[in-house]
Amino acid sequence: MFGYLLKRLIQMTLVLWIVSVIVFLMMSFTGDPVFMVVPIDATDAEIAQARRILGLDQSLLVQYGRFISSLVQGDFGNSYVFRQPAMTLILERLPATVEMVLVAMALALAVAIPLGVYAGANPNSRISRTIMAGSLLGISLPGFWVGMVLIFLFAVHWGIFPSSGRGDTAELFGLRISLLTADGWHHIILPAVTLSLATMAILLRMTRAGMMEVGRQDFMKFARAKGAPRRDVLYKHGLKNALIPVITIFGLQLGDLIAFATITETIFSWPGMGKLLIDSIYRADRPVIVVYLMLVALIFVVINFLVDIVYTLIDPRITLK
Amino acid sequence: MKYLSETALRGSALGLALMATTAGAALAEKSVTIGLTADPSHLYPLAGEELSSNIMYYHLYDPLVKRSADLSFCPGLAESWENVDDTTWRFKLREGVKFHNGNEFTAEDVVYTVEKTRESIRPDLVANIASITAVDDHTVEIKTPKPYAVLPNDLAELLILDSEYTEATGDEKMDLEPMGTGPYKLESWIKEEKLTLSANDDYWAGEPKIDTVTFRPITNPATRTAALLTGEVDVIQDLAVRDVDRVKREEGFEVVTRPSLLNVVLAMDTREKSPTIEGDNPMTDQRVREAIARAIDTDAINKIVMNGLATPSDQFVPESHIGYADGMSFREMYPVDIEKAKELMAEAGYADGFTMTLDATNNRYVNDAQIAQALASMLAKINIDLQLNIMPKSNFWGYIRVPTEQSSFIMSGWDVPAGDAGSMYGALFYTRDKKEGYGQVNRGSYSNPELDALVDKADATPSIEERDQYLQEASKLLLKDIPMIPVHYEQDIYAKRDGVMLEPRVDKFIWAYDMDVAE
Repeated sequence: MFGYLLKRLIQMTLVLWIVSVIVFLMMSFTGDPVFMVVPIDATDAEIAQARRILGLDQSLLVQYGRFISSLVQGDFGNSYVFRQPAMTLILERLPATVEMVLVAMALALAVAIPLGVYAGANPNSRISRTIMAGSLLGISLPGFWVGMVLIFLFAVHWGIFPSSGRGDTAELFGLRISLLTADGWHHIILPAVTLSLATMAILLRMTRAGMMEVGRQDFMKFARAKGAPRRDVLYKHGLKNALIPVITIFGLQLGDLIAFATITETIFSWPGMGKLLIDSIYRADRPVIVVYLMLVALIFVVINFLVDIVYTLIDPRITLK
Repeated sequence: MKYLSETALRGSALGLALMATTAGAALAEKSVTIGLTADPSHLYPLAGEELSSNIMYYHLYDPLVKRSADLSFCPGLAESWENVDDTTWRFKLREGVKFHNGNEFTAEDVVYTVEKTRESIRPDLVANIASITAVDDHTVEIKTPKPYAVLPNDLAELLILDSEYTEATGDEKMDLEPMGTGPYKLESWIKEEKLTLSANDDYWAGEPKIDTVTFRPITNPATRTAALLTGEVDVIQDLAVRDVDRVKREEGFEVVTRPSLLNVVLAMDTREKSPTIEGDNPMTDQRVREAIARAIDTDAINKIVMNGLATPSDQFVPESHIGYADGMSFREMYPVDIEKAKELMAEAGYADGFTMTLDATNNRYVNDAQIAQALASMLAKINIDLQLNIMPKSNFWGYIRVPTEQSSFIMSGWDVPAGDAGSMYGALFYTRDKKEGYGQVNRGSYSNPELDALVDKADATPSIEERDQYLQEASKLLLKDIPMIPVHYEQDIYAKRDGVMLEPRVDKFIWAYDMDVAE
């Protein structure tokens, strides 16, 4: 286990380093951030002054060196645009994104698993076919379209939910959480539903495929033969064995949604961090982009690590090496 | 609205709640919620400028000279001013004005602000101030490097900081905890979510009519419209062109438009050799520039690309500006005329046309990429093969930057909120590298000693009337010589619910102090 952890840690450091190099190189092609800050008619002297203030007067290599050396000391650099620490900018937006994603994932699981099990166990029933057709829709409808339709129907037309924003929040351990207020829930439903649809559809299809695969195994026939209730057969024996690929996808989707919920956040004006990434790309705000993508890489590595641990819990035959 | 719970009402339908409470109690506080296109990046005026930040600055801070909604200039923190001699100005400051923290506003704050600005990322704000001294607590004396008639106009963009507070707080924190003399104080700012301002009841020009102003950043245009229609916000900025008819049809809402100051212009390279043109550069010949001007149908662009929501521009600056040449119109001088344009091309020896590249943005101006495409098809009629090089704005400004080593033909926008053509002509048309601070944005490398002389004269006189004369001459010269083609002014489009009084400002800076809501 210890060796495994160490290996993972080394892998992670390597991944983070590569991400930082790639982003730094990439950003040198996306335009000069200084022109996003100075007025159009700035003179050369004014531009030089701005460059100096932003630390852009050095070569890319020197800038990268500075970035890495202050990174080691725990300083992730300041945003060119906001002139605030990049890490602070991201972290203050992180809770909003995480809670929206958690609600979305919970929703996806709650719907996908039972429906998937049902569709896997009864592949030929009419209900199963309807479920599968619905899941195809979930995969193929683009999120921004679903979001706009939901806003039009539920906010503008029926007035059941608000169109955008986060609503009231309550503080918990210094974090602002909207899941603690009724108004917060009221605001989170539409974006969470929008965000969950695609994941829901994928998980549903994975569960169904897994269940159909497992259903042909001998131990399922045995379980049924010894007279175990159908429910137990499906969920205790069947689902448990069908779950490994589902969990893998769940982990990947979780990371993906936290990192790139940008479109949903933009449509619902949800004050999360995905919107920050897009804005930063438009403004060529390199420090924010670098830290953001490194954080995302970290999130993926951690989630995958957790997924590996969950494997061992579900299937004792798997061990971590 | 079938099952609107109590919390739903409170949280989601702020506008409705407002109407309900105001109907119930006559003395309710007035509040308004405004949907902006973006969250401000800063609340500290020296940290940078963009529209959302500018809007906040003018709520929180005051300049010495105030720019009103229609671009006239009037006393702000300075009560009056006079020219002592050609380069010396004396500003009498308002007495008894207090910053939000109770500190008194004095001459020292003005001096501090100017000096602080010089070291910041915005030294351009004080470029025309050579020195500043406090004569007494409520008088400052400003010296300009040369006679400069429009100094007060420039000062409208310099927002006065509290010297004591700013020094103690530091640049980074100033962005989060601003302190000015403005009509509103910062109540709270939750990034990307909402920014709430409360009225400064001691404001020197009188208590604001609206007590609480909330700004919400709603980037997606369709969501902005939805938020207005559901009553979550009372006013929105930049209503999407495609939603204009929808909102007009809706009962209880109104669309408000006004031409903006932003003039979309086409700069033509006038160097002997141009980066994207093979052989000699045809555009050195005025006839070719005129032919291009005559081939561009701005009315068609307005109708087809802009849905009628643009105003074809008749000069380089709007009529309200110093230096606008009375009675002259680019559209009347060079009406669309393909035959005439072809003749001019033939006269200049380019009957078969030539090939060049247009550099344009795709996320800076309204429908910018589509305008570029329309231009390509219009110029094809006079045999100019226009290649399009379209990029996002984060690449654009660096790419087209003087000395413009990659561009022959550039579409960009220019606005002069200072209400004066001088700074534009100096930056865009003055011969490059001749004088510090002039010609720095002269992307077409235009050089005309006559124009340089006129700009010099305008910048050397302390009299506004004379300045206007010289700049009008310059306008006439430029309209004749065509170093650049003015296309159109974009239109600013707002939407609001009935009961909100909103006069859009020419400079786009929504200002709640000028607004009101019905009881």
